[in-house]
Amino acid sequence: MNTPHSNFYRALVIIGGTALVAAMGIDVLAVLGRHTGIPLLGSIELVQVLVAIAGAMALILATLNDRHAVVRIVLARLSGTTATLVKRIDSFAMAVFFLALACGSAWILRELWSSHEETELWLLPYRPLRLMVVLVLFTTTGLVLRKVWQGGDK
Amino acid sequence: MMATPETGLIGIVVLLLLLLLGVPIGGALGLVGLGGLTLILGFEPALFKAGDLVLETLTRYELGTLPLFMLMAHLCFSSDASRDLFDAAARWIGHRRGGLALASVAGCAGFGAINGSSLATAATIGLVAIPEMRRHGYSDALATGSVAAGGTLGQMIPPSGALIVFGIIAQQSIGTLFTAAIVPGLSQALLYMVVISLLVRWRPSLAPQTAKADWPSRWQALGKVVDILILMLVVIGGIVFGLFTPSEAASVGAAGALGISLWRRRLSWSVLYHSLEETLKTSGLIYVVIVGTLIFSVFISITGLATAAGALITDFEGGRTLTVMLMAVFLLVLGSLLDGLALILIATPILLPVTVAMGLSPIWFGIFIVRAAEIGFIHPPMGMNLYVIQGIAPDVPLSRIFRGVLPFLAADFLHLLLLILFPALVLALPGWMA
Repeated sequence: MNTPHSNFYRALVIIGGTALVAAMGIDVLAVLGRHTGIPLLGSIELVQVLVAIAGAMALILATLNDRHAVVRIVLARLSGTTATLVKRIDSFAMAVFFLALACGSAWILRELWSSHEETELWLLPYRPLRLMVVLVLFTTTGLVLRKVWQGGDK
Repeated sequence: MMATPETGLIGIVVLLLLLLLGVPIGGALGLVGLGGLTLILGFEPALFKAGDLVLETLTRYELGTLPLFMLMAHLCFSSDASRDLFDAAARWIGHRRGGLALASVAGCAGFGAINGSSLATAATIGLVAIPEMRRHGYSDALATGSVAAGGTLGQMIPPSGALIVFGIIAQQSIGTLFTAAIVPGLSQALLYMVVISLLVRWRPSLAPQTAKADWPSRWQALGKVVDILILMLVVIGGIVFGLFTPSEAASVGAAGALGISLWRRRLSWSVLYHSLEETLKTSGLIYVVIVGTLIFSVFISITGLATAAGALITDFEGGRTLTVMLMAVFLLVLGSLLDGLALILIATPILLPVTVAMGLSPIWFGIFIVRAAEIGFIHPPMGMNLYVIQGIAPDVPLSRIFRGVLPFLAADFLHLLLLILFPALVLALPGWMA
């Protein structure tokens, strides 16, 4: 699942990448439109949604690739079982953080489920975005917990 | 539990312990923030705030700036921009004594204008410049030191990843920060060049003179980077002259880089896929850190630690300059333990209100803290750029790389002092452009 050749991994890159390229295209059109007198109304809303999709995919990709920034000054000096134990604790702490974010997001989703939040100009609903964030955060929690199980390393 | 400055201090101590134990930076910041908020406000409000901050952060329009600038850098890199930039600088000034080291610094400054990371700048220019300098008989210390130090320009010369992150967490205009960074970035590059010139004048054996490139080959090398130079000018000029916002500039830059890749026949599906993959992986890392920092900032602001520190500073009779110098020493000491991003993210919520209380501009503070964090990239024990350079030249011992970087480190301290003594170096250009 976590190899760069898996379909899941490719799908994350393609969805996130497409969202990012689309955000780029909309912003460029907005700039051109503004300077040629044909403004693209609501471009910011569209970019916000696309950037959120790209960001959500990015969270999983960073976790899959073990890219989270770490201060290694002590970790680098540890070896053997101590190092493995500390890495497991570190990963567990990260899993707790992601779980807290996931639970908090899920809670807000439940509270706002029937409130019909949407953007002002394009009337894009927020509910699917909130749902995506919750799913992404639970997925990252699961991925980090798997790392704890495997011994702290990828 | 009461929200007191002491609670905030305990939080910082716990945070430092977690960081030193190797808990990922974003997680450590977020957990301390969440823990503190739970103790002060209760479990429900803390969890609610954390959940709210995730979507709020992900949908921030300005946050799109970061991945799009990264995409621009990856596409430019795949178009061999770093090699071409160094090559052009080497053809024009390489024949002077120490010329290839000067060209490395110029190449780093150029690559810094299409990429916002110190490590990436040191790595990409180092790959091209270090073998070339060693082939021409340059001392290992000068060859590695100049690139390690030059790499830090990537973080100062706009677009800078660190300034984007600072702008988001400090709620400051990224465009103004970019404009403010231009003079410090250029003066930093200039200081490095002065250091190289003085070194080779003092000990000519450090850098033997190389053959002068003829004029046609110089123009040919310059012709190869015209597209990249135009892209840099459009992106930075567009922000400075208010033609577009930094977020739009990132999109224009990425689209331009895509066009350049296509024009140079370097664009393929695999290049695009790889560029997007790398961009997303790094963005994910930074997003987690930003969410963690925002939670931590809410905790710190509730404890009143920053206000208390501000009051303490106001009562301090040493004067503003001395206070800022003490702050610089604090940042440099902390910077020897933490990496640049962690330093900026932890210190900003505490020191920014203090700086504002002293009547200093938050924009100036942004440049100051990024400059201080940059120094951490080249001084041990963290000194990430030194390790990157050793990865490129594994036969050069770390001690020799550090010896090579020492004169540049001295220039960095001088530069930081100049920024403290003359805030106009930072604030004049944005003020003038406004």
